[in-house]
Amino acid sequence: MNKTRVMIVDDEIEFAQPLSERLTLRNFETQTAVCAEDAMTLLRANWQPDVVVLDLRMPGLDGLDALSLFKKFDPAMEVIIVSGHGSTAVGIEGMRRGLFDYLMKPVEIDELVERIKAAAEKRGLALRQ
Amino acid sequence: MNKPLSKFLKATGGILCGVTADGAFCAKGRYQGLRRRLLVILLLIGILPLSVMASLSFIQYRTLLREETSINARLSAESARQTIEAYLQKLTTAIQIISDAYTFEDLANQGKLDKVFAKLNQDFFGVVDLSAIGPDGIQQAYSGPFNLVGKNYLSSEWYTRTLAKKMYISEVFMGYRHVPHFVIAVSKMMPEGQGHWVLRASIDTEKLDRFLAAIYSEVVTDVFLVNRNGELQNSSRHYGKVNDRFPLPDIPPMRSILLAEKTGKKSVLHAFGHVEHTPWIVVLELQGYADKPAWIASNHQGLWLFFVCTTLVVIIAFRVARHVAMTVRSADDERNVVLAHTEHTNKLASIGRLAAGVAHEINNPLAIINEKAGLMKDLLENMDEFVYKEKFLSQLTSLQGAVDRSRTITHRLLGFARRMDVKFEPVQINDVINDVLGFLAKEASYHNIEITQDLQADLPLVRSDRGQLQQIFLNIINNAIDAVGKDGDVKIISFLLNANHLQVDIVDNGPGMPPEVLENIFEPFFTTKNSKESQGTGLGLSITYGLVKKLGGEIFVDSTVGRGSTFTLIFPIIASAPGGALQ
Repeated sequence: MNKTRVMIVDDEIEFAQPLSERLTLRNFETQTAVCAEDAMTLLRANWQPDVVVLDLRMPGLDGLDALSLFKKFDPAMEVIIVSGHGSTAVGIEGMRRGLFDYLMKPVEIDELVERIKAAAEKRGLALRQ
Repeated sequence: MNKPLSKFLKATGGILCGVTADGAFCAKGRYQGLRRRLLVILLLIGILPLSVMASLSFIQYRTLLREETSINARLSAESARQTIEAYLQKLTTAIQIISDAYTFEDLANQGKLDKVFAKLNQDFFGVVDLSAIGPDGIQQAYSGPFNLVGKNYLSSEWYTRTLAKKMYISEVFMGYRHVPHFVIAVSKMMPEGQGHWVLRASIDTEKLDRFLAAIYSEVVTDVFLVNRNGELQNSSRHYGKVNDRFPLPDIPPMRSILLAEKTGKKSVLHAFGHVEHTPWIVVLELQGYADKPAWIASNHQGLWLFFVCTTLVVIIAFRVARHVAMTVRSADDERNVVLAHTEHTNKLASIGRLAAGVAHEINNPLAIINEKAGLMKDLLENMDEFVYKEKFLSQLTSLQGAVDRSRTITHRLLGFARRMDVKFEPVQINDVINDVLGFLAKEASYHNIEITQDLQADLPLVRSDRGQLQQIFLNIINNAIDAVGKDGDVKIISFLLNANHLQVDIVDNGPGMPPEVLENIFEPFFTTKNSKESQGTGLGLSITYGLVKKLGGEIFVDSTVGRGSTFTLIFPIIASAPGGALQ
């Protein structure tokens, strides 16, 4: 069975790198990107993630715009925002743009894994249809 | 009384002044100044036009009355002059006709003269005598009540003037009879040019008095004749008898009437007119306009009206100025209260924003710590046993525990600042209550307040907004703790009310609230927390009320002074959907 591919897009390397390693230890295939443009480079290089863990505040495009960009690139791609910043309005706007879930930092690894699995399952269902 | 104003009054000892010792302006002085300025402006607006109108009316009416009085005076004087002139004209003509019809010899005949006199006396009342005087100035015949035959008039002024003018009407004089009279005399040349003889008639001034008496009226108070020296020619009501002096101001021109107004205790108007062919001036004294009843009545009415209107204006101005000043003051007070509340609310909002900002900023380093500690733990768990492995794992678990605690704090802060994730989700009300109590427990314990819970264990979930529910319970339980103050109890009870609703009661044994407070308890900016230690915004319960309504709930309060208060919250139970994600 193929591993679930997770791309972590966060300018905070100190956060993204250990998270990436922890997810790897939990049998996920991961890549990290420091911004939306960096992520798009990976996508164009044919590294297609099932789920994107996305920060909200980043240099260049912010999380919501990056979400729109990713959804445009691959509508079945599921995105979970994990951010220290955020509000109801951001959450509602994210949902409007196809966001799967929205979690506040710091996040419990088990909770995040559950949400990634749920997102991957949703993507799998979508692709099968 | 609103809080800032009450504080202000307290600070000034309840006495509001004009300017404080340090020169600052304070309320009463400002509003008294405003009231005074308004009063002056209103009085000016009211009384100035009133005074101008009253003055104009006064001047106009006086001018009209003056003109009317002057016209009346001229008409009356003209009438008097014409009456006298007509009488004298007829009498003079009669005497001239006699002198033409008869010769001196005829009239020197006593019998003949008596007949002529009798006829003349019959036609003209007041003729006292008739006499014929020869060219030598000696009276040749006399018909009348006295015996004046033989009198020599050669040196008399009237005789000289008669000879000079052919016809002469004299001033009034006493004569030989010592009776005031005047004469009308005509001179005729003797046949063959032997000098002039004179026919003379004497008329008593009583006749003039009778003529002039007809001119008296309500406004004509005196009428008499004077000569050019101002000597009375007949009796006057106010200026004496014949030959008494009247202060003649000026000699009137011929054929015109001269008017002179005299003001003093009594206002009088004098009209003067020259009587043609005589040395007389007819004088009329008329009541001045100032003493006329119409003028006096008009003045009285005008003064009363002015007084009444002025009084009304003053009363209205006082009331309006007071009302406006009070309204402005009230509006200013309200504005100040709102500003103070807004300032207070803004401060709270700023603190909330600051707390939220801090919480957000802390979340990121917390996440790094969490992930790094987690990674270390993951790696350690996959490593073989070594001497310090358990100790390292224990330390990392403690580190993650600290991160969890910090996360709870930042999430609570964000939740209470209403900036965290807000969503409708299945919520266990009892959990929300416990969350809030976790936040307030220490505060309550500091004040020795015991918080007890009687929460029904199997309450169904409600689909609601956790953050807003937290804020609702935080506000009410916090209020209850504030109300109790110290050494008291707060009890929280939750139970299933019916199939569709659950109820939460927050009961305190604080001082309770009187009905007038209960009526306004959910009004914005209404607060009972006026002490220095506990200052309320007056928004907490108002916001709470709005939130409860927004969540489809109901809120009631029951309170008894001295026993405490009970806040009752009822929430609808709506079929909950699985999962906590926004959908």
